[in-house]
Amino acid sequence: MSNIESSGKHQTESRKISRREFLVVGGAAGLTLGFALEFGTRRAAAQMAGIAGPPAATQVNTWLKITNSGAITLTIGSSEMGQGSFSGLAQILAEDLMVDYTKIQTVQGVPATGATQIGNAIGTYGSTVTWTNYWSMRQAGAAAREMLVQAAMNIIGDQNSSNYTVSLGVITYTPTGTNISYGLVANAAALLPVPSNPTLIPDSQFRYIGKTVNRVDIPSKVNGTAVYGIDIRLPNMVYAVIQHSPAFGGVLSGSVPATPGGMIAVVPTQVVAGTGRGTEQTGMVNAVAVVGPNTWDTWQAALNLEVSWTTPANASSLSDASIKSEAMSAFTTNTPYSSGGPNTPPTLYTVEGNLSAATTAILGAAHQLSELYSVPYVAHNQLEPLNCTVNYVPGVSCDVYVSTQVASSVLALVNQLTGLPLSQIHVHTTYLGGGLGRRIETDFVSQAIQVAMAVGRPVMLLWPREQNFLRDQYRQVALVQVNAGLNSEGNILGWACTNVSPTILGQRGYPVGAAGDSQCTEGTTALPYNLGALSTQWISHPSPIPVGFWRSVGMSVNTFAVESAVDELAALAGQDPYQFRLNMLTDPRWTAVLQAVAGLANWTAGPPSGHFYGIAGAHYANSYVAEVVDLSLNSGDDYEGFPKLFTINTVYIALDCYLAVNPGQIQTQLVGGMVHGLNAALYGRQSFSNGVAQFPNFSQNRVIRMDEMPQVQVTLIPNPEQSTLDAALGGAGELGVMCIAPAIANAYFKASGTRIRTLPIFPNAIMGGLNNPYI
Amino acid sequence: MPTNYTLNVNGQNYNVTVNNPTMPLLWVIRDLIGLTGTKYGCGQNLCGACTVLVNNVATRSCITEVQSVAGDTIVTIEGLSPNSTHPAQLAWINFQVPQCGYCQSGQLMDCASAMLAGNHGANIAAQMHNICICGTYPRITQAVDTL
Repeated sequence: MSNIESSGKHQTESRKISRREFLVVGGAAGLTLGFALEFGTRRAAAQMAGIAGPPAATQVNTWLKITNSGAITLTIGSSEMGQGSFSGLAQILAEDLMVDYTKIQTVQGVPATGATQIGNAIGTYGSTVTWTNYWSMRQAGAAAREMLVQAAMNIIGDQNSSNYTVSLGVITYTPTGTNISYGLVANAAALLPVPSNPTLIPDSQFRYIGKTVNRVDIPSKVNGTAVYGIDIRLPNMVYAVIQHSPAFGGVLSGSVPATPGGMIAVVPTQVVAGTGRGTEQTGMVNAVAVVGPNTWDTWQAALNLEVSWTTPANASSLSDASIKSEAMSAFTTNTPYSSGGPNTPPTLYTVEGNLSAATTAILGAAHQLSELYSVPYVAHNQLEPLNCTVNYVPGVSCDVYVSTQVASSVLALVNQLTGLPLSQIHVHTTYLGGGLGRRIETDFVSQAIQVAMAVGRPVMLLWPREQNFLRDQYRQVALVQVNAGLNSEGNILGWACTNVSPTILGQRGYPVGAAGDSQCTEGTTALPYNLGALSTQWISHPSPIPVGFWRSVGMSVNTFAVESAVDELAALAGQDPYQFRLNMLTDPRWTAVLQAVAGLANWTAGPPSGHFYGIAGAHYANSYVAEVVDLSLNSGDDYEGFPKLFTINTVYIALDCYLAVNPGQIQTQLVGGMVHGLNAALYGRQSFSNGVAQFPNFSQNRVIRMDEMPQVQVTLIPNPEQSTLDAALGGAGELGVMCIAPAIANAYFKASGTRIRTLPIFPNAIMGGLNNPYI
Repeated sequence: MPTNYTLNVNGQNYNVTVNNPTMPLLWVIRDLIGLTGTKYGCGQNLCGACTVLVNNVATRSCITEVQSVAGDTIVTIEGLSPNSTHPAQLAWINFQVPQCGYCQSGQLMDCASAMLAGNHGANIAAQMHNICICGTYPRITQAVDTL
């Protein structure tokens, strides 16, 4: 997701740090620097900037510790969900601290507990961890190094700094060759003031930044020792399995079922304030948890439990056809946004420009485009099913073990439900078996806390796979209408883009202002093309099916529409789609990344015989990305007997993130993001009938396997010769996702002459279960 | 009706008591024996995160009833090698395969099974069909190409 405070236009931020932002803890344990990194939101950054004086310990979420023995630990408050950001932060630190990267031990930290953190998620999302904290980490490493060197200078008694060198955590006094390890001076350094403007290593002397180094978490992920939330085992722990009302909006009808034989309890759970979305309102008992001695027996008891659920009054409107027809009618039947008004969906928001001017320009143009692009609800697919383990001792303590992207929200939730003070609440963030945005939510955490409070024992609450698919907070359904006009020279004279989709921020109680929901409009705004008379609108869709942050959020929806429409305009103009984009582009970095991907694919020479190219580009999280898809037509069927229209041979990806800290890691993020977008483009869809989601497992939520994986080639725009504090880095975690759908659609048009304007491309493909011929 | 079984897992015998002999091996391994490296992903023989070796053959433990494997030789990710020295584990580290890592126990056991059957390189990859949501397939392919 992008930052919720963002207006949709991505800003370049400068980031300067003062010594007031470090908290020094000295004493017998060595040197400890505490600081507050930014995870997730600009709101958090603003609060940090407002700290007067050193941050209180309760505001610190990251600690650098150098012990007397020279051991270095970096304790980080964000989450590791496979994106490698723990390693990235350690890699940045190693540069300016001038230590061996492999000697830094990274430790999962806890959320800061300062009052400003409560209810304000300092989360891991938005492709933000590495790039938003790059300069802070460098400053921290440099400050610590200078304090250690100063301590050594004080011991030697020579204040001429040119007589000292540092290498791999050892300070050398060159006149005598005396070596002083960091550990030896760590205590003394802790007594010194933090330098206000420490000297950073010049880029030309980088040993780690810009290099591909191994990740710290990988050894534990090849031998079964990495601990995910689902792997927590506590003494006396019991297992709870959730069963929700089949229909969104349904609640428990009648009494709570009796506890089945062999089970410990049946606990009704209600929607807790702050966790309900759309149909799920605070106080509704929308699920029951069966508690038992192990997962399997408890799960079977939950499946066999006879529970009565109400049918929500609006169930008939919560079906695919009615959701689509509501979206269609919202284009013409809506109410313009009014400041202070109720703005009940469907409300029309003017995001950019002016519709009547754009329409006039389009109607007067020589060639006109008017097309509708459609995407469905899509589930998150994170492979580790949702789970949370809680050990609650009434009045004493509450420990929560959870794979979450928002540890601070978990902290606030425990406080809200138990009334325990923050000092008695301990949130243990484990590795995440995928986050993808689903673990920004805390609905499952609130249920685990409720069950633990009811049964008085440590309990792990699990959502079986089916509950994950049937009770997701989905990528938003959307219809995007693009009207545009070209003159006879192929220039765009007018562009009118209107997106109809349910509001993500609104379902969470965040204010949605005159420019609409940034999470729904991103990707339609601040486009880099010369579009002539411009209109960008968003209309809120009334459907209350829960929607949420799905890796790259609005970008994956809108880039499909915008980059498909631009391609259609190129065809109308009779121009090569790559050259057409170059002609229209106004942003040199976007142009450069497009040229880079075209060069990688050798676009000008063209694809091999029988292959066809499609291209798309996007700008997000301060980065620029472009992809080229190489596909060939295929007349056969896939292994399920569905027509296999095409084979994707190769995907070329180019990224400009200003400065690539770990190019190998960025490459994996781009490939992984592309696969996530590919799964959705080909197969991703949740279907609804009378409020009940229809596709419960991977059989109908198909994703690609090894045999469908295209070749991938990645190129990165080279790092600057000398980076500057005024320049912001860009993200990578979501950048691979958004271009793949339009690049496929554009390549397929080139191959077949047929446009794909509705996703997924194979809505009926399923994956064999027991009949899967692979097994 | 509680039933007792003796299971040989990673060279060690475990006596387990289950309430129902249809309990899948996955949950016996995870909840009763306490080895958590084998993962639950789908429960329906679709994703492969739960793959273990039963008599040297990759087996989806989420649909394998415990009663069907009593007396068999079962190997989980924890028993693949001492100290992560199986060639597949070394290749996975060398090529930095995992991202979130949740599927990788199953991927490695799938790979190990294909190796035990005498396959190498691309022939191993051709037999690997487990789901990876993070999209580590290219690096798996690279790693497997060295085996």
